[in-house]
Amino acid sequence: MSETDPVIDTVRALLAAAHLPASDAEIEAYAIGYPGLRAGVEALYAAPEVRYLDPALRFQADPGPAADWAG
Amino acid sequence: MPSTLTDAAAALRAGTTTSRALTEAAIDTADRLDERIGTYLVRFDDLALAAADRADAELAAGHDRGPLHGIPFGVKDILATADGPTTAQSLVLDRTWGEGRDAPVVARLKAAGAVITGKTTTMEFACGMPDPAKPFPVPRNPWDLETWPGGSSSGTGSGVAAGMFLAGLGTDTAGSIRIPAAMCGITGLMPTFGRVPKSGCVPLGYSLDHIGPMARSAVDCASVLEVIAGPHASDPDCVDAPFAAPPLGEGDLAGLRVGVVREGHFPDGADPALPGLFDDAVAQLTALGATVVEVELPYRAEMMTADMVTMAAEALAYHRTDMSTRWTDYFAATRAILAQGAMVSGADYVQAQRMRRAAQLALRGLFADVDVVVCPTLSVAAPPLAGYLDGTAEILELFTHIHTGYWDSVGNPVLALPMGHSAAGLPLSLQIAGRPFEEATLLRAGAAFQRATTHHLRVPLLVTAETAAA
Repeated sequence: MSETDPVIDTVRALLAAAHLPASDAEIEAYAIGYPGLRAGVEALYAAPEVRYLDPALRFQADPGPAADWAG
Repeated sequence: MPSTLTDAAAALRAGTTTSRALTEAAIDTADRLDERIGTYLVRFDDLALAAADRADAELAAGHDRGPLHGIPFGVKDILATADGPTTAQSLVLDRTWGEGRDAPVVARLKAAGAVITGKTTTMEFACGMPDPAKPFPVPRNPWDLETWPGGSSSGTGSGVAAGMFLAGLGTDTAGSIRIPAAMCGITGLMPTFGRVPKSGCVPLGYSLDHIGPMARSAVDCASVLEVIAGPHASDPDCVDAPFAAPPLGEGDLAGLRVGVVREGHFPDGADPALPGLFDDAVAQLTALGATVVEVELPYRAEMMTADMVTMAAEALAYHRTDMSTRWTDYFAATRAILAQGAMVSGADYVQAQRMRRAAQLALRGLFADVDVVVCPTLSVAAPPLAGYLDGTAEILELFTHIHTGYWDSVGNPVLALPMGHSAAGLPLSLQIAGRPFEEATLLRAGAAFQRATTHHLRVPLLVTAETAAA
C-alpha cells in the first residue's frame, strides 16, 4: 500500500488522535485489519432488534462507599 | 503426586500423603521442567513449604478448611498477591500496584488453606502473544515445546498440565481461561460474569473480565469456584451469589437437554480430528442420558465483534496514557490489539453494549429449550510457536479458530474440558455453556462426561518421561 492509501491515512490519523506513537510499519500492518474491524462494527448497527434496546450499561447516581479490595 | 485436586484432598484426609509431600513434589517438578515450559514468573518455594506445614498441622489437629486445604496452587500474575510483586508480565505495570496485598480471590484461597506456589506467566496484560524481545519467559506447551500453550493464562494452563500445581487461577476476557485449558489438555471454568469478584486483578475489559479455576477436572473446578465465588464490596459487578458445589461424584445426565452448535465452529483449516471427536463427545453425552438437539447461537458474529470492540475500548482507556509515552515497552501484539480501541468510536462502544443486550435476550430464549449448549472451544490444536515469535504467523488467522469470545460478551458461564487428541497428539476441547449462575449444571455435565472418559487424565509425554527419569 502506498503512503497515500486512504485506509492507512485514516488509521494513522486515529492513532495520532489517541496519542499512540505507532511506527509506519505498524500503521500499515494495522491498516490491513481495519476494513474488517469496521465491517464488523457496521454490522452491530444492522440488526433491527437493537433499534430500541438499552445498552448493557447502567449508571448509578449513588455508587455507594468506595471499598478497598484488600481491606 | 495424585493427578487431581480431588484425589489429593482425599489422600490428605486418608493420611496417605501430606501437604508438604505434595508441595515438595510440585517444587521438584518445577525444578526439572519450568525452565523449558515457562510456567512461572516467580516461585514462592519457602512460603509454600511453610504454608504446607501449617496445613498439615491443622489437618492433624482436626481443623479442616475444605478441599483446597494443603493443595499446591498457581496464581496468574495479573492478580495481586501479598507474597510477591505483580507484573502482568509487562515492563509497564507500576510495581507498587497491589504491593503487599492480596486480591479478594487470593485472600479467599489462602483462607481455605491453599498453598500458593508462585505467580504464573500470562500474555502481557492478559492479551496478545509472547514477545521474545522482552525480558520474560516465553510460555511453551508441555505437550509439545514447539507449540503455544494458549493464553493469556498460559502458565496456569501449562503448570496444571505439567504437575507443577494441582489447580490455579486464570482470567478470561475473550477466552483466556478456556484457550490455554484447551491447548494444555486440562479443564477450565469461566464463571458467570459477576459470580467472582475481580478487584485486585489488573483489568483488561471491565465489563468482560472473569476470574476462574483451571484444574484437571470439572470436580476440581467446582471446589475452587466454591471458595472464590461470592460478593465483595470492592467489585460493584459482583452479585450476592455464592456458589455451593453440588455432589458431583455420581449420576447420569437423564433429563439434561443439550443444544449442539456446529455453525462457524468448523472453518477451513480446522483440525481434521475435530469433527469426529466432537461427534464422539456428543454421543457420550447422549449415552449418559442427555437429549440432544442442533441449535444455532444468536448473533454469533456480532458477539465476537462486540467482545473485541468492548475489550479494545475499555483496555485502551486504561492504557492510553502509558502507551503514549512507553509505546515500545509494550509487547508488539499488545500494541496491535489495544490500538484497535482508537479505531472505534464512543457510539460504536455503546452500540456493542446494545448488541450484547440483544444477544442476552435471544440466548434467554434458546436456554428455554435447552439446559446447556456444547461446541468446540477451538477448531485447532496448539499452533506452532515459532511463527508468532518471529512475526511470520498471522494472528488474525488464528482468531478464526477461537470460539470463546462469544461467551465473554454475553456473560454466561462456560466449562472447557478435553475431548480427545489430534493426530499429532495435541489436546482438543469441548465447551459446555449454560444459563447465568447455573455453573452447577455445567459441572454436573462435565463431571459425568469425565467419569465416562479419561481425556482429562492424560499427561504430556514430557512429564511422564521426566517423572520416570526422576
